[in-house]
Amino acid sequence: MRDIFAGLREGSIDIVEHTRKCLDEAKRLNEEYHHLTVLSEERALAQAERLKKSFEKSKDKPLFGYLVSAKDAICVKGVETTAGSRILKGYKPLFDATVIRRVEEAGGIILGKTAQDEFGFGTFGVNVGLDHPIPLNPIDKQRSCGGSSSGAGGLARIAPFPHISLGESTGGSIANPASFCGVYGLTPTYGRVSRHGLIDYGNSLDKIGTLGNDLPDAGKLLRVISGHDPKDSTSLTLEALKEEGGGDVKGLKMGVIKESFGSGVDDAVAETVRKGISALENGGASVEEVSLEFPLKYSLAAYYVLAMSEASTNLAKYCGMRYGQSAELKGSFNDYFSSVRESHFTREAKRRIIMGTFARMSGHRDAFYLKAASVRTRIIKAYKEAFKRFDVLVSPTTPVVAPRFDEIEKLTPLQHYQMDQLLVGPNLAGLPHLSVPIGEATGMPVGMLLIGDHLKEETLMRAGNALGDKT
Amino acid sequence: MTQFTTDVVIGLEIHAELKTKTKLFCGCPTTGSEEPNTRTCVTCLGMPGSKPVLNRQAVEHGLRVALALQSDIAPRLVFSRKSYFYPDMSKNYQITQYELPLGSGGRLALPDGREVGMVRLHLEEDPASLVHPDGMQGSAYVLVDYNRSGNPLLEMVTKPDMTSPEQARDFLKQLITVLDYLEVFDLNEGIIKADANVSIKESAYTRVEIKNITGFREIERALKHEVARQRAAVKDGQAIEQETRSWDSEKGMTFTLRKKETEEDYGYIIDPDLVPITLDKEYVEKLRSELPELAQEKLKKFQEEQGIEETTANVLAKDKGLAAMYEQISRQVDPQLTAKWVRRELPRVLNYNKKSLEESGITAEHMTTLLRLIQEKRITEKIGQRLIEKLGEGLFDVEEHVQREGLETLQDASLVEQACKEAIAENASVVEQVKAGEQKAFNFLVGQVMKKTKGKADPKTVNETLKGLL
Repeated sequence: MRDIFAGLREGSIDIVEHTRKCLDEAKRLNEEYHHLTVLSEERALAQAERLKKSFEKSKDKPLFGYLVSAKDAICVKGVETTAGSRILKGYKPLFDATVIRRVEEAGGIILGKTAQDEFGFGTFGVNVGLDHPIPLNPIDKQRSCGGSSSGAGGLARIAPFPHISLGESTGGSIANPASFCGVYGLTPTYGRVSRHGLIDYGNSLDKIGTLGNDLPDAGKLLRVISGHDPKDSTSLTLEALKEEGGGDVKGLKMGVIKESFGSGVDDAVAETVRKGISALENGGASVEEVSLEFPLKYSLAAYYVLAMSEASTNLAKYCGMRYGQSAELKGSFNDYFSSVRESHFTREAKRRIIMGTFARMSGHRDAFYLKAASVRTRIIKAYKEAFKRFDVLVSPTTPVVAPRFDEIEKLTPLQHYQMDQLLVGPNLAGLPHLSVPIGEATGMPVGMLLIGDHLKEETLMRAGNALGDKT
Repeated sequence: MTQFTTDVVIGLEIHAELKTKTKLFCGCPTTGSEEPNTRTCVTCLGMPGSKPVLNRQAVEHGLRVALALQSDIAPRLVFSRKSYFYPDMSKNYQITQYELPLGSGGRLALPDGREVGMVRLHLEEDPASLVHPDGMQGSAYVLVDYNRSGNPLLEMVTKPDMTSPEQARDFLKQLITVLDYLEVFDLNEGIIKADANVSIKESAYTRVEIKNITGFREIERALKHEVARQRAAVKDGQAIEQETRSWDSEKGMTFTLRKKETEEDYGYIIDPDLVPITLDKEYVEKLRSELPELAQEKLKKFQEEQGIEETTANVLAKDKGLAAMYEQISRQVDPQLTAKWVRRELPRVLNYNKKSLEESGITAEHMTTLLRLIQEKRITEKIGQRLIEKLGEGLFDVEEHVQREGLETLQDASLVEQACKEAIAENASVVEQVKAGEQKAFNFLVGQVMKKTKGKADPKTVNETLKGLL
């Protein structure tokens, strides 16, 4: 890879040729793994031509030479964007998400859209709408990539060319596939990255982040896409993220979340993560156990109530009026809207719409929606309390390694949701977190989750660097 | 048990379009091209991935109204999603305020001194407009125009404090006056709509909601019709049902929209795309201190401090333009004279020329010069009327015109006497009638003298001279 970058910068490798080659390789790989829903070939080549024309100005841009894939929920002008749902099949946005604009301004080339669970509803990438093939784990094709940024995780691992993925996490959708595919998954603080142009799942939770085979890559892309955007009221005005090259963890206070090694967590996974913790300790970090009983116990319930409540309003616009497929016009507008929604949403989307609507109806609103909101406040408090004592909180990213598809089929919806149990807490609290590929268990990658206080992404990257290359 | 005692109980829910440059959550202009779907963007079309960004001017307008109506101001701005499916909704939810409205409580005094209590005021976005090319009933298809989608609305909910359709009309008139004074509402272009809750004693105050009433004339019509309908129904032995009805302005009647067995459920959640914004006290107090003097206060001042009689004071106070003109002129000219001319002569001329005050270009300076000439008896009122009529047709320098045309009142008593003598000599029979005590005949003689002097004689001098000669 280093040779490629050197060649590109010296001009011995032509950026357009390079792009063409990457597109071909991506195409070939995709036939086998289905990580991409669409390749934005035209747009990628047009950008490469632009970069070639302005070579002197472009060659030192941070993403020069990189191909960047975007989770399907991120709008790319003129490129089919469906958020993994058949209801949006054929939809081509009229505008670019802010992150896409920033990637191109930084010299990056948009490769295409990566497969995801429909609107982010899933943890295994098996809920890829009604038409798309399920993306396969690069290490074992019988297994899941994780989700919901499934293709983002898989492609980050397998792309044989300079590539970084843009993912999105609502309740753990970056860390989970990062863990299952053995790559770095960096989810920023809520508000660090503009959501303008991100198709909404749960607006108070959605965060665009990055997945990369190397941590510096994931960090580089995050730096590019960060920063205030007047088009997103929830985006923060912050100082730019610093490049965190070092891996010095001397004096770093690590809190190991006691409850995250409890029941339901695979022994081999727990053991691998403990090895990683020892490595940090050897590097000079202080390690102590911390109990986060309240968040671990209640995050999952609060998360699903809030995320589904928000999702059920976000999905209302897909009714065949302005957005969504159309159907035969008959009956009242309600009949028509229902027929479109009935035919093109998956079972899981319908489940979440119904549950989310239920949770916010009068009579249930107090018991579910408002209760969950106040639980969320308590969860944030509990984390904030912990960050008075620790710089980084540590747990496994997922309780198990990537499951086989035949295992997934046997899971109930509740067991599906429980896959998120270690991840929903930091997501509810808007905390930055980094999944580090820390080793293997039964031949599959294991992720170690580092959670930082708000806006402490740099600390996470420092700890991540200390853990070094994947073992 | 009901707390009501009056024959009729009316409460209003009013939606006024706020006068802002851009829409509530995006940068699209609120006015301009009428070509359908040209004032739209990713946000007001609800495109997947688009996000709302709050318009500060709309918030300020809303706050000014809330302050003027003496509402309590919310400590922070929170917006909610009101979910329902309808073809005019780009997102199938409307961004509105639910938990914490911009203003709570408050009141508005009617001209008769009665106060109507306010329940709440909040901001929300307007949906798109549906266009039925062949009328509501006859169209085979409906078109949607998103130009209106996202326009800022201020919803104002009153207590059920009104007891007649006339009072509801007065309330709405008064409210529009307030909105105009605050410069948050465009009297010509802005749309004000009301939903009314109306019930009568005979039905034990069973509440019926009337939707879709536009403007204050319509509200009186719609409510009069509805009260009569309810009374007739009760008389016929029918029960009044709690329901929602719609007002059909063309047919002049209300019809059932839906029976309301259950309250609609909008599944409100906080809109997570809009962060809560603290309305700090200093900011709110600054807005409060910048509120203009409102019609009600002006009315009081005109009556109590300047002794203007009630009807005239009312006419002047409720029209922002006339009130401002009156105030400016009356600083230099007798308030009574000013009030009379600003209330009667000026509107008369404007009406005749079918011009608004702005269009006519007549300013307080023109009027001050004119009235000062009258006050100083340099011109007669008759000449004054001719001058203002001329101003209505086109502007000119009043003082200069009077001098150039020699319109000043005849100061030479012998000229007046000469005219009087002529009038007497030419109208012998009328003189007889005057001597028989007929006032009309005397007035005729005065008129003749005025004619001879081209209106330049002081009527008082003419009176006295004639009386002396006769």
